[in-house]
Amino acid sequence: MGAASGPLAALAAFLLLAFAHIPLAGAMDEAQWLARAAVAAADNRNAPFAVIDKRNARVFVFDGLGRLQASSPVLLGLARGDDSVPGIGERAMSEIRPEERTTPAGRFETEPGLNTKGEDIVWIDYDAAVSMHRVRATKKSERRLQRLASPTVADNRISYGCINVPAAFYDAYIKPVLGSRRGVVYVLPETMAARKRFAFLGRPEQGLTTRRGFSPAG
Amino acid sequence: MNSTSRLLAALALGAAGAAFAQGNPPTTAPANPATAAGQQNPSGGPMGTTGVTPESGTARTTPPTAQTSPDTSSSSSTTMAASGDTPAMRRARADRN
Repeated sequence: MGAASGPLAALAAFLLLAFAHIPLAGAMDEAQWLARAAVAAADNRNAPFAVIDKRNARVFVFDGLGRLQASSPVLLGLARGDDSVPGIGERAMSEIRPEERTTPAGRFETEPGLNTKGEDIVWIDYDAAVSMHRVRATKKSERRLQRLASPTVADNRISYGCINVPAAFYDAYIKPVLGSRRGVVYVLPETMAARKRFAFLGRPEQGLTTRRGFSPAG
Repeated sequence: MNSTSRLLAALALGAAGAAFAQGNPPTTAPANPATAAGQQNPSGGPMGTTGVTPESGTARTTPPTAQTSPDTSSSSSTTMAASGDTPAMRRARADRN
């Protein structure tokens, strides 16, 4: 088991990077739709940005004009929900209950940072201690690498709220875009309509229309 | 020295003593306690302001006010380094993994 985990992890990383740019059609629709709306509203300030689709457990990276650059599966918070429990950022991991392990949804102004182990990360919500970082396989029983490599979405819910990205994808796409400057990440909600979390969707000049399988009006 | 001379000397000495005694006694209740009875401008003007007389009418009678700087309270609370797209990195902290 231990001897096989090294090659398996390497294979998983290779496959993830090789196929990272091929998103699922439905997931891409939602992310692309939100990206276009954000660019139309100049909400991204002409800067590259990322969209997290929690329902499909994927991250999409766009350039400043809203053109898709890459996509990858991600790991998200174990619990379904779009809000962080107040004060959760100050609590020890051991004090966080399973139902509190949510990845918050909304528009986040990100900033590069470091965690206490010196690892470079991207803060999504500093106060709530939510970041985007390279997947960590330190706890073998969680099988994070295998979860990322699997084609299913349900098993991608394992973290305490952070967004885990394949290491190769992080270095190739996330770090260049968000790892050295402030940026914007849009996390699509999973329990409510998107317009309730993104103010720019409510502006009439956006002329938003209902997309296939995705209703901005909820 | 005869008695007349002694009398004249005594009178002169007494007159001088009286003259000294007629000087302004120390002020025990000055108008401005902060200045006590120290050196004051005999004209009533401020001390240490050369070239300005009380009669000029333009003498500053109120203490100078501190120069106020432009109000920056409405500006962002971020530091200069944090005002751009390359912010000063915040304190490292544990994330939620």
